[in-house]
Amino acid sequence: MNKFSSISILIFVFILASCKTGVKVDRTHAPLAGPAPKIQIGQYQMTKLENGLTLIVVENHKLPRVSYSLRLNNDPISEGEKIGYVSMAGDLLSAGTAKRSKSQIDEEIDYIGASINTTSNGVSGNCLKKHMNAFLDIMADITLNPNFPSDELEKSRKQTLSSLESEKTSPDGLSEKITSVMNYGNNHPYGEQMTEKSVNNIQREDLVNYYNLYFKPEVAYMVVVGDITFDEAKKQTEKYFSSWKRGSIQSKKYNMPAAPSGNRVVFVPLSGAVQSTIDITYPIDLKPGTQDAIVASVLNNVLGGGGFQARLMQNLREDKAYTYGAYSTIAPDEVVGFFSAGASVRNEVTDSSVTQILFEMERLVNELVPDTTLQLVKNILTGSFARSLESPQTVANFAYNIQKYHLPADYYETYLQKLNSVTPADLQAMAKRVIKPGNAYITVVGNKDVADKLNRFAASGKAEIRNADGTEFVDIKPAPVGITVKSVLENYINAIGGKDAINKVKSFEQIGSMNMSGMALDVNIKMKDLTKFKMSVNMGAMELMSQVMNGDKGFMSQMGQKEPMDEAMMADVRQTADLMSALSYERYGMTATLLGVDMMDNEEVYVIEFKRPDGTTSKESFGVLSGLKLRGESVDGEGVLSVTLYEDYVTSSGVKFPGKLVQSADQQEVTFTFKEIKINPKLDDKDFIVE
Amino acid sequence: MKFYLITSMLALLIPSIKGESQKIAYTEFDLKNGLHVILHEDHSTPIAAVTVMYHVGSKNETTGRSGMAHFFEHLLFEGSDNIGRGQYAKFVENAGGGLNANTSQDRTFYYDLLPSNQLELGLWLESERMMHAKVEITGIETQREVVKEEKRLRIDNQPYGNLFLETLDHAFDVHPYSWPPIGSMIDLNAAQEIDFQNFYKTFYVPNNAVLSIAGDITPEETKLLVEKYFADIPKGSIDIPRPAQIEPLNKGEVRDTIWGKDQLALVLEAFHIPAQGTKEFYAVDMLNKLLADGESSRLNRSLVDEKELALFSSAFTYNTEHPGLTMAFSLANMGVDPKVVEDAMNTEFDKVKTELISDREMQKLRNQVENEFVTRNASVAGIAESLANYYMYLGDASLINSEIERYMAVTKEDLKNAANKYYTKENRVVLYFLNNPDQMTK
Repeated sequence: MNKFSSISILIFVFILASCKTGVKVDRTHAPLAGPAPKIQIGQYQMTKLENGLTLIVVENHKLPRVSYSLRLNNDPISEGEKIGYVSMAGDLLSAGTAKRSKSQIDEEIDYIGASINTTSNGVSGNCLKKHMNAFLDIMADITLNPNFPSDELEKSRKQTLSSLESEKTSPDGLSEKITSVMNYGNNHPYGEQMTEKSVNNIQREDLVNYYNLYFKPEVAYMVVVGDITFDEAKKQTEKYFSSWKRGSIQSKKYNMPAAPSGNRVVFVPLSGAVQSTIDITYPIDLKPGTQDAIVASVLNNVLGGGGFQARLMQNLREDKAYTYGAYSTIAPDEVVGFFSAGASVRNEVTDSSVTQILFEMERLVNELVPDTTLQLVKNILTGSFARSLESPQTVANFAYNIQKYHLPADYYETYLQKLNSVTPADLQAMAKRVIKPGNAYITVVGNKDVADKLNRFAASGKAEIRNADGTEFVDIKPAPVGITVKSVLENYINAIGGKDAINKVKSFEQIGSMNMSGMALDVNIKMKDLTKFKMSVNMGAMELMSQVMNGDKGFMSQMGQKEPMDEAMMADVRQTADLMSALSYERYGMTATLLGVDMMDNEEVYVIEFKRPDGTTSKESFGVLSGLKLRGESVDGEGVLSVTLYEDYVTSSGVKFPGKLVQSADQQEVTFTFKEIKINPKLDDKDFIVE
Repeated sequence: MKFYLITSMLALLIPSIKGESQKIAYTEFDLKNGLHVILHEDHSTPIAAVTVMYHVGSKNETTGRSGMAHFFEHLLFEGSDNIGRGQYAKFVENAGGGLNANTSQDRTFYYDLLPSNQLELGLWLESERMMHAKVEITGIETQREVVKEEKRLRIDNQPYGNLFLETLDHAFDVHPYSWPPIGSMIDLNAAQEIDFQNFYKTFYVPNNAVLSIAGDITPEETKLLVEKYFADIPKGSIDIPRPAQIEPLNKGEVRDTIWGKDQLALVLEAFHIPAQGTKEFYAVDMLNKLLADGESSRLNRSLVDEKELALFSSAFTYNTEHPGLTMAFSLANMGVDPKVVEDAMNTEFDKVKTELISDREMQKLRNQVENEFVTRNASVAGIAESLANYYMYLGDASLINSEIERYMAVTKEDLKNAANKYYTKENRVVLYFLNNPDQMTK
């Protein structure tokens, strides 16, 4: 080639050129910037089809390709006992239509070198311009005629269960789970977590119903970007999507979750972890597209928005070398936003890192941000805004956001002015609102040995050790050979007095008090003939609450309001009444598994898991030495965990009863203390009447 | 006459100046000190990507100093004779720019993404880095810990984080591709100040670098500025060491089981392949697409969709300067025997060896390649990096426009031949990653 000769000629030209300038370079100072270039936001065009579908088009003819993104603007959905079905419906949109099987869809998309992605909130993909009609034909088919084949659902279920298993060793995955459970709770769409059980509950009709209810053109936006004209895009969209039928969608509202009243440390053990994944987080109320959101984004960039100059990065990485990167997020959201600040750090500096992150949070609340810092952050945000405009997708997203969040049409054109108007006082006012170093979930995924050092950050003085789904963590070792469900339960029966003594108990009565949130109430529990049961809670002479069962039927009454007991509740009561139920759990339709040996306040316990006919489970722990039942734990149908501790066993007529029960569920704690336990007392049948 | 000659030469050098919109136009030249410069002009957005690629990566490291190239990349943000410690990034961010760097087996790449009126700032910063970077002991000790955290974050604490590390370790005996760019903890701890000084003097010299700039610039003005900041940097005086031995093919099958805490079994097969840019490399790369690019690819269709053995299958070719590896791996579904997964993968490899692929499948691969080529030139930063890559490894930046022809020249027979030559038992490493925390492989 001519390469060498041409290069030498070029060099010759440049040497001449540089001689002409003849200026000695001053290297001691940064060169001055030229005049600032004008930042121009590209244009978009928009129209609405007759069926309500909104079309947004950004023309960009630089590369011969087109991207299509169909987005549904629906409220999030709470999935109850079938968590996972919404995302599965999204995944399986491309798993078959009336016309095409999954393998046909896959092959046709790959054949044109395109890619397509389906979610519960839309379908998107891109292709070269020359393939756009072929692409749209498949995209429209997927969007309008999915048929959710049963075999594809089963395959997806199998894969989902496998990936649930594989997530268990991912620190980021675990951290994401625990923070969303803590921030939003189990019953909020943002907090719900898939489980093996919820995935197994999913039926094909759930997917079909989801699609039929939520895939409607009037909540949909078709965003087209690339080498295409507005007219072309409009004709295409009409051709492929005008047959899409309207339908109304109900909007959904959710309660705003609150930040905790004091700091809570939530530790998720990950065995063998060599880093702690720290996330200090809580929900916030911050709406997108507001001036508040702009102020909050400046504040976040001061703290840890991604630049090297951010305080978390400077402090935890450049100064202390605790981490590769420390970052924060202040995320606005229409339903509920969140604050998050964290880092992955080596085990030894976990507590020091938490201290520094909290320190930086407090600084934002207590000190004004200096002008130079504010200016730096404004420069960073202006620069990244300008760079983002290189991608035509950015303009399309702006157009979409204006529609989605009902922003003024010039929101993005005036964004830089709004950014520049932010003052240090605005930042401090925002910090006082959204930076809460005393009301946070301090979540850490890591090696369990680290947990104790974090106790001091918790308002309660104790780190809560939990599984990633928020349930209490139980660290279980295998039980020694020879120990079985049967041996543990027989040992328990012997520990509380033995079969003979227990069989003599036909009735009993427990008299004591119940303490809840500092309020003391009288409690009385009666059991007759192993089948009849009554519990009443009184304040002085007034009965506040009672539960009665006559063997076949039961009711619960609260302040005079009666409600029949359901079957699950009665099964529970029957077992409570039957002191020997431990040995006859099979009679109640349950199966039992010995999980192993766990530690409970420095005492070893055997843990047995019972599975009820309805699939719910409970765990009971029995002292290895004492044989006594010390702890019970169950999760109800709504996923709420309740824990009972059995303490202060006392003996009455040769049988041991717990003198104290501590029950906690949903952050509430109730303590029962029994001052008297009567065996085979004379009980009146009238107490057990159920009408 | 003279002017005519120059312009016609320029036209040869810049083949695409009058070409179609998809062609990437650029100018390139060398400074006297050996620095190669490539400029690409595009005024659509007022930004400029100033990038420097140094021809040094982990394959230039010596035994006992693995991770050095990457560690050193961290240190080169510390400052220079004229830039105080920690100020480097501040200059860029204050100018509204973004910056970072990364290190591979073969090269180290630095980039500053700036508003276009700050082009000169980028040149000043990069020339300071090349001319007289300053590394103090505080910086070394801080970044040593930061890099160790990066290793923990990306490898030690990640599910299957040891996947590539174990693969490289089992695949290479004579070539330094046997360790990943992050290096080992022992070596990271051992690196001394003197090692860095030597490393800088040897590798961070203009004759071992490509300065590639793309965006809202005018080439004439940019050339003058490049000259202003880079011409004074002395050419390196030390011979740049490069690994001499390449890894041979067909060393015999290597097979091992790696125990770890991850729950699902993972089966990986890696094969030794030729260096990038060779004719057979393109065939291997397309075989890779056939096997694992897209849902209809053969491994995905067979293992994931039809036999339901795997959660996913993936294939990956190391685009390395020296002969490297292509690997395919499958993450088994819960309870699936890894041997069954391996057999299913081998069935697919064998099929390509015995049967020619269909015309339609061949066209699919070509369409996939074409789509990739169009898509990857979407940002000026990407263009700057691609131009530097093509020049550094293949000696020809114009491949940014023409490399696709090399892919299109691959025939069905080439695919079959490549499969028979490289996807063989004697040429492979087979690793099972299985769950057993108590036997964890150290």
